[in-house]
Amino acid sequence: MTNILSVTLQAVTPEGIIDRYPNSYNHFVLPFVIGISFILVYLLIGLVRVLYHLSGEDRIKLLKSLFNPKTALKNLKDIFCDCLLHTKIWKRKPLLGYMHSAIAFGWFMLIVLGHLEVYIFAPRHLEGISEGSLYYPIFYRFFIWINPAHETLRGTVFFFLMDFFLLYVLSGIALAMFKRVRSIALGMRHTTKPSLADRVALYSLWAIFPLRLLAEGFTADLSGGSFLTKPVNWLFKAFFGNELNFMPTWWAYSICLGLFFLAMPFSRYMHILTEPVLILFRNAGLKVRKPRKGFAEAEIYACSSCGLCIDACPMNTQKKNLKYSSVYFIRFLRRHNNKKINEIAEKCLMCGKCAALCPVGVNSPDIRRVQRETINNSVGYDYSYLKDYSDKAAAELSDKPRKSGKVLYFAGCMTHLTPMIIKSVEKVLKAADVEFEFMDKDSGICCGRPLMLAGKTEAARKTIEANKKIIEQSGCSILLLSCPICLKVFKEEYNLENIEILHYTQYIDRLAKEGKLILEKKEGSLVYHDPCELGRGCGIYDEPRNVLSGIGELKKAQKERDESICCGYSLGSLTLDEKDRSKIAESSVANLMANAPDKIITACPMCYKAIRSKADVPVLDFAEIISSSISGLKQNS
Amino acid sequence: MKKNILIIGGGPAGMEAAANLDRLGYNVILIEKDKQLGGHLAKWDRLFPDGVSAKKTLDALTAELSGVKCFTETNIQSINVLDKSYNAILSNGITVLADAVLMASGFDLFKAEKKEEYGYGIYDGVMTNADLEKAFREKTLPSKAPKAIGFVHCVGSRDEKAGNPACSKVCCATAVKQACEIKEVYPDADVYCFYMDLRMFGRHYEDLYLKAQKEYGIRFIRGRVSEVAETMDNRLLVKAEDTLSSKPLKVTLDMLVLMAGMRPSEAGRSVGRQLNLTTEDDGFFSSSDNMLAIQKSKLPGFFYAGACTGAKTLPDTLHEARSAALEIDRYVKDNFKEQ
Repeated sequence: MTNILSVTLQAVTPEGIIDRYPNSYNHFVLPFVIGISFILVYLLIGLVRVLYHLSGEDRIKLLKSLFNPKTALKNLKDIFCDCLLHTKIWKRKPLLGYMHSAIAFGWFMLIVLGHLEVYIFAPRHLEGISEGSLYYPIFYRFFIWINPAHETLRGTVFFFLMDFFLLYVLSGIALAMFKRVRSIALGMRHTTKPSLADRVALYSLWAIFPLRLLAEGFTADLSGGSFLTKPVNWLFKAFFGNELNFMPTWWAYSICLGLFFLAMPFSRYMHILTEPVLILFRNAGLKVRKPRKGFAEAEIYACSSCGLCIDACPMNTQKKNLKYSSVYFIRFLRRHNNKKINEIAEKCLMCGKCAALCPVGVNSPDIRRVQRETINNSVGYDYSYLKDYSDKAAAELSDKPRKSGKVLYFAGCMTHLTPMIIKSVEKVLKAADVEFEFMDKDSGICCGRPLMLAGKTEAARKTIEANKKIIEQSGCSILLLSCPICLKVFKEEYNLENIEILHYTQYIDRLAKEGKLILEKKEGSLVYHDPCELGRGCGIYDEPRNVLSGIGELKKAQKERDESICCGYSLGSLTLDEKDRSKIAESSVANLMANAPDKIITACPMCYKAIRSKADVPVLDFAEIISSSISGLKQNS
Repeated sequence: MKKNILIIGGGPAGMEAAANLDRLGYNVILIEKDKQLGGHLAKWDRLFPDGVSAKKTLDALTAELSGVKCFTETNIQSINVLDKSYNAILSNGITVLADAVLMASGFDLFKAEKKEEYGYGIYDGVMTNADLEKAFREKTLPSKAPKAIGFVHCVGSRDEKAGNPACSKVCCATAVKQACEIKEVYPDADVYCFYMDLRMFGRHYEDLYLKAQKEYGIRFIRGRVSEVAETMDNRLLVKAEDTLSSKPLKVTLDMLVLMAGMRPSEAGRSVGRQLNLTTEDDGFFSSSDNMLAIQKSKLPGFFYAGACTGAKTLPDTLHEARSAALEIDRYVKDNFKEQ
């Protein structure tokens, strides 16, 4: 700090850029160097650990995906859009999106441009650790002296860009500070409480950029600056008249950076570094296999603890249930708090809204399901009769004459509890002249999804095998389902080759489009409730709406499609009691009634029951309303 | 001057209380939303455990009402508390200034279509306990003898999912009574009762149960019905669990009677909301004390009788009506001494 002005003229480049320090080193860089080294080592060890816990099969999958040009491109796009621009948050909450992209993208650009500057103007310092490549680009403005007479256009553009992105980041930081005080202004009703490490990281993060502005402001007359740093420099000169505050500011800047990196692995900010890893894993098609290791570990550390899932959770209708939100589940997993993990894992309705809205895309319901497996994955029942049953049922179905395009209808347990749906499906199929066979008219085997949701994967495998045999031997080419709960498991776990698996909303949409089903527009206003397993679970949002808009005026719910609110009767929760479910059903109905429709339509037997128990307007199943809208005239008759 | 007492609900509780208050010298105004007095009793055929005629019982209750002003097809349009009395505007335009009010709004039957898995309103052969009583009264039972008939106990009772964890108290005995009666009509039919627990708590109820087994050959199956489906020939395929033998069970029936339970009367609750009367979790009104003062509400001068404070049998309801009449008498004497 004593001879800051003793500029040693050395290494003069043609542009008049001079290293102010002969060895390009000053003690103040130490905190930063310690921090960055720590985080790099930590990251490396973490990465090795996660990779080690992946199954061999998954590792090969991952490796292959990295060299597949299509996935590689998607990886790049996802990392850019999700980690830097935060497009997912932008779409739902623009102000919050701006805040995130300002900090992430702004900071990223500062780092990139900083390195680029060094690469262009002082390339020597990127050549190795001994040349200060670890810290030099970060503190470039400290180490350099630029002869004002030699300022080039290229240099000025960089000065401008650096200041511009600094301002961009600072605007994000200002919003972040404001959000701490008033989160609702940025569209968040609930946020999480930060832990100690979170606070250290948070306050250092807040301090880094204002300090950077100050520090670069002090040196703006030596190393150049633009519209932001230059005025700061003049201001300092006017106030202090000397440059003695120069060193402490650079020290503080370096200390804050160092602190941030040191606190990072223990704080929520680890998500910044983990998210790209998660994106690579996800795009490689990996699945969660263990609740705390491998893929799950990447998800756990990728969680930014932002708390968007608290607002998303349907259980948030009651404050006492906020603690079951995914963010806390992930937090307890990260801290190995086993007692709480299991309670939260079992409480969840598995509606998937937290995963759909998660800006990082953490699939918490999947981790909960795997966690449930660890609690109890025994079969528990005597399933030995399944073999005889499926042999007999398969023989009965395959006895019948085979035709191409045969439709096999599987109603499932839940539809059997709502016989009106079965009657309606039968009526619609008859009206469209569709010949079909009823796989479980008098008796049937569970599809396996409720067992899977309960973590009884072994038991589910047994029922899946039994059903699979019946379906494959039936010779059908379309498997028609009326229950979205079944649909999801048939699609994901059955691996039925050459058999199209369709939900009745999809099939009816197809029949209507093909002209086999002529529908009359005679209904008043309708609102459609997206069942969790159908919408978020299988991505079916448009088909039911296509058909419904043809028979009535389709009104919007307050929240719909992937933001739809679970009806509360989901089979996913193992411990949520009736009163809590009933409250959720009420909030779901209130959401549907936002635009005062005449009727509520849904396409899941569970939702149908739940909504009917709470709604004051008629609640109809999708097939039910279609069956009463069939026009007498048919094209092909 | 005679004191005015307003009674809301012209079922057995309201009628019995009205008759007693009339005899005690009050000016009683009894209002009933339906066309006729009697509530559910007016729709019933015979009563457990002895099979006495519902009509005769109702006639006996009606005979005592000569001095009572009865308004049928009348609702409370608005009601509010004045200084020491209640001001009610009735839907027929009359305004009543009552010194005390008795709520005897009773119960609504649980809407059996809510348990859709039992197929009420979907399959022809499925009916409720009330439908069967109506068929007995009006002699409209099908002439073609059903081969097999089932009774499902606890429909909308002791069922959290249906929104009512409480027992409705009367359905067990009603089911056993109806099972015997239907067996009398169709002696060759197989009759099944699907129950969770049989709560035959009253005098002679157990006798009725034994008689049903020994004399009528009713088959009692302990277990809930899970679902009802239709067979190809339009019969009912009932799936249940026999918990005594721990086996799933399937029977094909022609007629299935659902023992719909008791829910708080919606008409009564809407009056309660105007006065901010509190209800308990089950939706029935909360008494000021469930042990000592079941007829008293938390409002002075406002009383309860009958099933508006929870499921009750007919004799219980009548007892409560009489004691409510006494409570009202005591209240009026204590509070309006000077006049």
